[in-house]
Amino acid sequence: MTIEAITLGGERMQLNMGPHHPATHGVLRIRVESDGEIVSSCIPDHGYLHRSIEKIGECIEWPMFVPYTDRVDYVCAMNANLAYCVAVEKLLNTDPATAVVVPRRAECIRVLVAELNRISSHLIAVGAMAMDVGAYTPFLHGIAQREHVNDIFEKLCGQRLTYNYVTVGGVAFDLHETASEEIASFLNQFEKEMVRFNKLITTNTIFRDRCANLAVVTAAEAIAWGLVGPNLRGSGVDWDLRRDEPYGLYGELGVRVPKGERYAGRKGAVGDCYDRYIVRLLEIQESVRLCREVLKLLPPAAAKANDPIGGHQADVSKVLKRPPKGFVHCRTEAPRGEMGYFLVSDGTKVPYRVRVRTGSFSAAGIFHKVMRGIFLADVVAVIGSFDVVVPEIDR
Amino acid sequence: MTGLGYAVDAVAVWLSGSPAPGWIAVTVAVLLVWVAPLLAIIFPVAALGQIVERKVAAAIQRRHGPNSASLEGPLRFGFRVLLCFLPRATQDRAFQRFLKLPVVRSLLPMLQKLGIGQLAADGIKMLGKEDIVPRGADGAVFRLAPYLALTGAFLPFCVVPFAHHLVMLEVSVGALYVIAVSGVTVLALLMAGWGSGNKFSMLGGMRAVAQLVSYEIPVGLAVAGVVLWSGTMDLHAIVAQQYRPGVFTFVGWNLVQSPFLAALAGVFFLAGLAECQRTPFDMAEAESELVSGFNTEYSGLRWGLFALAEYTEMLLIGALFATLFLGGYQSPIGEQWIVGLHPLLATLLHLGIFVVKFLASLFLMVWIRWTLPRYRVDQVMRLCWLTLVPICLVAVFGLAVQLVLAGGTEAGTAYGRLAALPRPALGVLGHLLGWAVPVLLLGVLVRIARRRHGGMHPALRQLTGGGS
Repeated sequence: MTIEAITLGGERMQLNMGPHHPATHGVLRIRVESDGEIVSSCIPDHGYLHRSIEKIGECIEWPMFVPYTDRVDYVCAMNANLAYCVAVEKLLNTDPATAVVVPRRAECIRVLVAELNRISSHLIAVGAMAMDVGAYTPFLHGIAQREHVNDIFEKLCGQRLTYNYVTVGGVAFDLHETASEEIASFLNQFEKEMVRFNKLITTNTIFRDRCANLAVVTAAEAIAWGLVGPNLRGSGVDWDLRRDEPYGLYGELGVRVPKGERYAGRKGAVGDCYDRYIVRLLEIQESVRLCREVLKLLPPAAAKANDPIGGHQADVSKVLKRPPKGFVHCRTEAPRGEMGYFLVSDGTKVPYRVRVRTGSFSAAGIFHKVMRGIFLADVVAVIGSFDVVVPEIDR
Repeated sequence: MTGLGYAVDAVAVWLSGSPAPGWIAVTVAVLLVWVAPLLAIIFPVAALGQIVERKVAAAIQRRHGPNSASLEGPLRFGFRVLLCFLPRATQDRAFQRFLKLPVVRSLLPMLQKLGIGQLAADGIKMLGKEDIVPRGADGAVFRLAPYLALTGAFLPFCVVPFAHHLVMLEVSVGALYVIAVSGVTVLALLMAGWGSGNKFSMLGGMRAVAQLVSYEIPVGLAVAGVVLWSGTMDLHAIVAQQYRPGVFTFVGWNLVQSPFLAALAGVFFLAGLAECQRTPFDMAEAESELVSGFNTEYSGLRWGLFALAEYTEMLLIGALFATLFLGGYQSPIGEQWIVGLHPLLATLLHLGIFVVKFLASLFLMVWIRWTLPRYRVDQVMRLCWLTLVPICLVAVFGLAVQLVLAGGTEAGTAYGRLAALPRPALGVLGHLLGWAVPVLLLGVLVRIARRRHGGMHPALRQLTGGGS
């Protein structure tokens, strides 16, 4: 909601939100200049979580970088792993001599873990946004469901946050015997749980009124400012890499893409905070559906790990020592939008350059534009609606 | 003069040893007879409020809440203090024997599960914390604010009747006094916000002033409606006037007397929530925006006093709601039999009923807090000035018309006449009939409003489990 008329004039107040403010989702610092309650300018200040991950990539061997991708975005580490591994595979496939064929079972497992992690990441996003608007309970209900996903991942790879699970050419471990049933039963109870979650917060009038018509980004603006993922789709742009530039198994699955449609009704506008929020919830539903589809497609495990159908890991140890020269850019659809890896190889076992482009980075770019003329209370709601994760901005 | 007024006099006379006690003796007597017991009731109940809050929040969030802090430590400490004249070994032996008592053995784990131990632990922790006054703070203002907040929350209890004649001051303008005195809280919050030397606190303090001053108006109008209806500002008389003989005592409660009063009750509760800074109106301490606002810079005991003030104020809203609309300390059913009991027993029963009533309000407030998100500043103001105040004005006007039409007494109104039918069951039936019309009307209005709003987006209906 933009208020241009009610400005009292006079001295403006400088307010530092963060880097340790409970609602800035990590160590994000925002320099707010406000006229009483109304924000007149709002400039994000990054760099508090910079860990030189891209530079580290230039110093270690190709497969050794996978654990670092976990730390690029620890809320959806599976998707971050996947983004890097798909990029390296694309590089290897530029030369037929080093081409890799990922086993079909591994492709299925990749989609499965990516979608499960998308669910858990979006749960954090919608829960944290509800918390920013002042409702504490939905966040905890979301976290409780996220714990179930973490349990599944822990059984799968031993980790609950930074998985290091997806590898170049497959996945690190095969699914355990009961994994399919566990995932299926989780999905069943999760769907019921989400209905309760939505009844609790999504259709709540206060919540809707807070988010409707707030920080509206039109479709043209969203494209011009380079928004990606749910933030882009929230503005009504019909674009999802899983459908439009499919990688892995996604081409077969037929992903249905939700987009912003003024869900808040007459009070709202396409591309407001409520649309971005609802798009995430609809994506959760779609991910549940995709997981079920993949469980049906999953071929039985073979005895050999590098079996092209039932295996889980292609043999890549040799080709990674001597990858083709050249560069690739590969983007995948992570929960926070396109996660792009630009890799330059000089033909050695160490990358010449690893460059990461993430969704939160472009989302943070538009902050200063949409946060002008809104209320101070809404600053946190807007941050929540763009779902920025600070390590992803800084890397 | 109340029965306790006589008690004050008697104590004062006994203290001074003369038939005309001086002001010191009277003050001490008031402190002994009234303030000490009142503090002894209110503060533990307010502390209990904290447990209610944490346990209800835990239940809503499917957690356990505080359940493992042991009570043994505080009890052992109590034993040491009580038996300090005995050697340490004897104290310990006595304590061990105490722990082995069957009552204690069965009760202690239960209390521990309820989180009472956590309460003790938190209290001790708070006392032990460093008392920080920030460098940029205005020392005197900063230090004074919590005490003022607690005073503002506590003083109104002086006129709230806890049972028949169990009231500290039976003043004829009780309702006015409550509204006037609770206004002190505004000053306290402003002082805390301004004195902290912190921009977030400052914003919180400013929000608190804007909000509390605005919401005094619906609260005042709601109280004015009740005053209009009962023709008195004396809270004790307002309670007495809600008494009805017969089995169904609750038909006399103001809440069910008239739809206008019911509307005022709703407004009073909402505005009361805003007055004690609770979600969805917790502008002043909005945790996710202002990092707990006016009390960001407070620590230790001062912070504890603010917390206590908040819970005391919640209890106050509950107590006033019960007094004004729910027949005060009276039982909903069969009040006439309680009145017939031994005075002491009746007083205890009334006290119990009253506590249950305001704990119910407290529960409702906690429930709301852990379910709803927070309004924005402008929405809070809009709700107050464009919704609650007009509702109040219409309701008070309607109430006045109703009274004029009925010739001045509530017995003459349509509801009164229906309720005064010879047999209690018929009276209840009459009430229900009298209520059916306005409720149906409201239902139709809501229907129309919903249709105008255009309904939910199909995607939302599908998300909430409905068919798409």
